[in-house]
Amino acid sequence: MIELHGLTKRYGDKTVVDDLTFTVEPGVVTGFLGPNGAGKSTTMRMLVGLEAPDAGRATVNGRPYTEHAAPVHEIGVLLDAGARHPGRSARDHLLALAATHRIPASRVDEVIDVVGLTEVAGQRSGGFSLGMGQRLGIAGALLGDPAAVVLDEPVNGLDPEGIRWIRDLLRGLADEGRTVFVSSHLMSEMALTAEHLVVVGRGRLVADTSVADLVARSATSVRVRSPRAHELRSLLAQRDVVVTTGADGALEVTGLRMEEIGDRAAGAGLAVHELTLQQASLEEAYLELTADAVEYHGSTTRTPTTPAPERTAA
Amino acid sequence: MSTTLAPTATPGAGPGRTSTAPEHARHASRAVSAAGVVRSEWIKLRSVRSSTTTLLATAGVMLLFGALAAAVGSGLLATPPDAGGPDGGPGGGGPTATVLAGSLLAPLVIGVLGVLTITSEYATGTIRSTMTFVPGRLPVLGAKVVVLTAVVLPVMVVATLATFFLGQLLLGAGDAPTAAIGDPGVLRAVLGTAAYLTGVALLGLALGTLLRSTAAAVSALVALVFLLPGLGGFLLPASWQEDVLVHLPSNAASSFTSVAQVPGALSPTGGALVFAAWVVIPLLLAAVALRRRAV
Repeated sequence: MIELHGLTKRYGDKTVVDDLTFTVEPGVVTGFLGPNGAGKSTTMRMLVGLEAPDAGRATVNGRPYTEHAAPVHEIGVLLDAGARHPGRSARDHLLALAATHRIPASRVDEVIDVVGLTEVAGQRSGGFSLGMGQRLGIAGALLGDPAAVVLDEPVNGLDPEGIRWIRDLLRGLADEGRTVFVSSHLMSEMALTAEHLVVVGRGRLVADTSVADLVARSATSVRVRSPRAHELRSLLAQRDVVVTTGADGALEVTGLRMEEIGDRAAGAGLAVHELTLQQASLEEAYLELTADAVEYHGSTTRTPTTPAPERTAA
Repeated sequence: MSTTLAPTATPGAGPGRTSTAPEHARHASRAVSAAGVVRSEWIKLRSVRSSTTTLLATAGVMLLFGALAAAVGSGLLATPPDAGGPDGGPGGGGPTATVLAGSLLAPLVIGVLGVLTITSEYATGTIRSTMTFVPGRLPVLGAKVVVLTAVVLPVMVVATLATFFLGQLLLGAGDAPTAAIGDPGVLRAVLGTAAYLTGVALLGLALGTLLRSTAAAVSALVALVFLLPGLGGFLLPASWQEDVLVHLPSNAASSFTSVAQVPGALSPTGGALVFAAWVVIPLLLAAVALRRRAV
C-alpha cells in the first residue's frame, strides 16, 4: 500500500505537486492520470526518495521508501525507459542493480525472461528500440520482487502487442496482491487497464475514484430530433436545463431525464423522431475533470474541491 | 509469459491468490549492504569498454612517453637542438624524472575515467535507478571510490614500475646516467606517481559528482591540474605566487613524485598531505551535494 499525505513540491514560485493526499491500494491496478505537466512524474520521484517533498510525506507499507532496509523489495519503479548505458548489456545493467541487494543472478535471468529480452540480454543495449528499453526498465522494476510496482508511462513507445503485454502483466501483478500504480496521460489506455483512477491537474488532486464511478457520474445528455424542434425547445426550457441545437437541427438536452423529455413532447402533441441517451466517454469525463482543475487553479473565487457529481447549468 | 513473478513464492501458494491477502508471498529480500554496492559498482566499471580503454591508455602513455624520453635522453634518438642535454632529458630532473615523463599527460586520461565513473550515470539517466536501489546515496559514492582505487592503483603501480625499469634499460643502453630502484627517493617517486594518478582519478570522480556533466568536470580537472599551475604565474601577484602555486594539485604531487627536491617546493610529506586534501575535500563536498540535491 502506498499512502500520500499532503505531499507538496515547489520549484521556485511554481507548485508542481500541491497537497496531494490519496492511498494506492494493493490488489488492483491504479491509474495515475493527468495532462503532461500535472506533476505525475514528480510525485513518483518523491515516492522513491529521488526528490525531497517541501511538505507532507509519502509512505510504502507505513514507512518512507528510503527508510526500508531493502527498498526495492517494497517498490519497484520505472521512471525513465531510456535510462541505460548504451555500452552495457541488458544483463550487466540488471546484474549491477541486483548486486546492491544481493539479488542472485538467477533472479536477473528470471526477470529478463518475464519481459522477453532473453535473446538480446547479452548484447550492448545501445541498439535497443524504445520498446525494448521499456521492457528493460520494467525488468529492473521487477528485480526486487516488490510489493508495489510504480511505472511512469510504461506504454510509451510500445507496439500494440507490447501494450497488450503490459496490460496483462499489470493485471497479473495486481492479481498477485501487489500494489500497481501506473501513470499515463491517455485516458483511453487507463480505461482498459486500471480499475481505480487518481486524476491530477496542475499538481492538485482532481479525482480519486473507481473507473466505474467515473463513468457513472460523467455527464450525460439526451439527443432529440423533432420536426418541431423550435416549439420543443421552449417547452423544455427551465432552470438547470441546457438545450443546444446541433448542426443537423437535433437538440442536445442536459439536465432532464430522457423519459421526461418524451412525456413532455407527447403531452404537447409534438412528434419526436429520435430520443437517444448520450453517455459521455471516459475520455470526455477526464477532459472535463482536468479542465475544471485548470480553471479553479487560475481563479480565487472558487473553492478547490472535487467537482460536484452532477453538472449544472451555468 | 503473461504472468509473472511467482517463482519465488512459497511452494504451497497456488496461482489463485485472493485479493484480500494484504501481500503476496514473497521471498525474504536482503538489505542493501556496503559489499553489495561495491560489487554493483565493480560490475558497472567492468561492463563498459571505456573503463578498459582509459586504463590501458594511461598505462600506455606512461610507457610510451617514458620510453621516448629515455631514448632521447640516452642519445638513442636524436635530440632536438634546443632540448636539454643528454643527461637531463625532458624535464631535466634526473633519470627517474626522465622516464616518468608520461605523468605530465597521463593524469588527463585517468582523470577522464574518474569523471566518467559518475557523469556517465547522469548522462544516461542510470543515476536514477542507482539511487532508487541505494536511497542512502552515499554508499554509491563510497563504493565508486573503493572500486576506482582498487582498479586504478594496482594498474598504475605496475605501469609506473614497468616504465621505470624499461626507461632505465634504455638510458643505460645509451650510456646515460641511470637510477636504481633502491636509490634514495626513487621508489617513493615511482610509487608516488602511481598514487598521484590514482588521486587524480578520484578528484575526477569528485568533480564529476559535483558538476554532473562530463564536459564540465573534465574542463574543471584540466584547469585545476594542467592550466592553473602555468596561468597562475600570469594571473597572481608575485608575492602570492610561491605560496599558492606550490599548493596546486600537480605541484604538490611533484614534491613526492620526483627524487630531486626543487627549492621552494613542499616536502614530500607536506606535498602528500596537500595533494590528499585535494582529493578528500572535493569528495566530501561531492558527498554533501549528492545527499542534498534531487537526482
